[in-house]
Amino acid sequence: MNRREFLKASAAACVYPLLGGCEQTDRWEKAAYIKAKASRVAILAAERYGNGLRETLIRGIRLFRLDLAGKRVVLKPNLVEFDPKGVINTNPAMIEAAIDSFKSLGAREVVVAEGPGHRRDNEYLLGASGLYDVIREHRVRYVDLNTDDVRLTKLKSSFTNLTQLYLPQTLYDADLLVSMPKLKTHHWAGVTLSLKNMFGVVPGSVYGWPKNALHWAGINGSIVDINSSLPIPRFAIVDGIVGMEGNGPLQGQEKKSGVVVLGDDLVAVDATAARLMTIEPRQVRYLAAAGEFLGNIGYEQIEQIGENLQRHQQDFRVIEEFAHLKKLI
Amino acid sequence: MLEESVNLLSNNQNPDGGWGAVAGKRSNTEATALALLALNSLAGGSDGSVVQRAKRWLIDNQNPDGSWPLSGATKGPSWCTALAIIALSELTDQKDRFVKAGNWALEQEGSKPGILANLIRALSFQKKAVRLNEDLIGWSWTPNTFSWVEPTSYFLLALKKIRSYLPAKTFHERVEQGELLIYDRMCDNGGWNYGNAAVYGETLWPYPDVTAIALIALQDRRDRKENQLSIRVLIEMLQNTDSGLALGWSLVCLSLYGQDDSALKKRLEQRFAKTKFLGETKALALGILAVGNGMRYFRI
Repeated sequence: MNRREFLKASAAACVYPLLGGCEQTDRWEKAAYIKAKASRVAILAAERYGNGLRETLIRGIRLFRLDLAGKRVVLKPNLVEFDPKGVINTNPAMIEAAIDSFKSLGAREVVVAEGPGHRRDNEYLLGASGLYDVIREHRVRYVDLNTDDVRLTKLKSSFTNLTQLYLPQTLYDADLLVSMPKLKTHHWAGVTLSLKNMFGVVPGSVYGWPKNALHWAGINGSIVDINSSLPIPRFAIVDGIVGMEGNGPLQGQEKKSGVVVLGDDLVAVDATAARLMTIEPRQVRYLAAAGEFLGNIGYEQIEQIGENLQRHQQDFRVIEEFAHLKKLI
Repeated sequence: MLEESVNLLSNNQNPDGGWGAVAGKRSNTEATALALLALNSLAGGSDGSVVQRAKRWLIDNQNPDGSWPLSGATKGPSWCTALAIIALSELTDQKDRFVKAGNWALEQEGSKPGILANLIRALSFQKKAVRLNEDLIGWSWTPNTFSWVEPTSYFLLALKKIRSYLPAKTFHERVEQGELLIYDRMCDNGGWNYGNAAVYGETLWPYPDVTAIALIALQDRRDRKENQLSIRVLIEMLQNTDSGLALGWSLVCLSLYGQDDSALKKRLEQRFAKTKFLGETKALALGILAVGNGMRYFRI
């Protein structure tokens, strides 16, 4: 360990108790979380956003035998910002395919909901991203989670000093929440996948744009506390057809990966997606913490039920501050 | 457009007199303040009882300390207080309320990163990720967090509108800091986004709605080169931005800066015909304020 690494580790040691790293069992209600011994994650090949994506998603969702009949499904894509030259957001074709898939698998209603993290202008974001046309064509509701009615929710873990958060009523009214992130690196958190995507459910009208109160409380701890406390079953569909490397989530470079990752254990999905980026999930602080109680992070505990992981693995660049994510444990 | 949007807005009023972000949502202070301004701006053009009930909602929902909450569901003060001040500031019979709120606002300060955070950054040799002056204090979205451009702009505008009722020394100190903060956060080529001009050396782009709001708050500094640059950037951005929110705030802004806005008004009407601004209360209200005579409420 060189001097720089030693000082970084020392600084982390000062801060980690604030994020929750010492008395692990005191950080969450132990009885509330019984982690499965193993989780299943599907990596499906998808080269492009056009024809066939709906069939791919239906095949993938069926692998998990979700009970969707008569259920209200909320799709939560990543629509944090828009840049005509960038690949920031979950592609609208992926959202369209998910709407179609869940409807055809028996869902009573599919709702698209997002609380964009930077912009307040929904009409602009929906129009510029192409999502407005999808929503209109498929006659689905779009809910702005930033300004939705809210309900005070007690947090079930304490990786930050937050004890409760206002969460959107739309989550309470749904039967299944589907996190639909883009496969991206992230300049504050290392990677942004299905767990980090849940920042978007926290209402901006209460916590601001960006969701600064969460950054103030600690980004890693906030991701864990939100995901430990959401009042609804979850599923994840990661848009990895085209991802982003480098200075994500906004200013990174496009990285074609040609995969969709699905699963009902979001920790395992994110660990797998990280491995697809040749990033060690245990080096991602919030993933390491979530892997303690929310889901499985270990390669041996995750059964790959789709494509071979190694075959689709790509070397996603990270910014210098996250170079350690590339060190395998 | 005016008649249809006024009808839409009036019909979306909740039984309690307020408005939610869209029809059917719980009343909140931001939506109600902007809707009240919009309907009040129409001389004889709106139902008086709708306006009276909106005023009543704001009056009934003021906190004892003078602030307003976001809505009935959230406890405590919020950034929406600035919009409530603006909405009530023209009503002389509400002077006690907006002055109390103004004094409350003067006491609110965005936080700075603590000593521990700075120490860790220094020890870990981390590059400073963002390029902004963390010592400048404006207003935050939520208490005890960092200052950002939009809430600081709302509070600057609100306080400037009622300045004659506020203690002069504190007013000048806070306004000076707030203005410095907004200029510090300006994007490299003018205009503003939520409040970061660059991250890890890569520049970020401005947003038309926030740029317009910041320029409205800085209208008494219109001759500064930053304002002039940002007006030009705003006009450029509007060539590629169609939304009720962006066009509404921009029309108010450009009118205050004496710019020709007739073509934009036409685009706003076309946009309304196409999307009805997604039924969002604040966009509907801003549309009415922009095509009607509402910009006077934002004049300092």
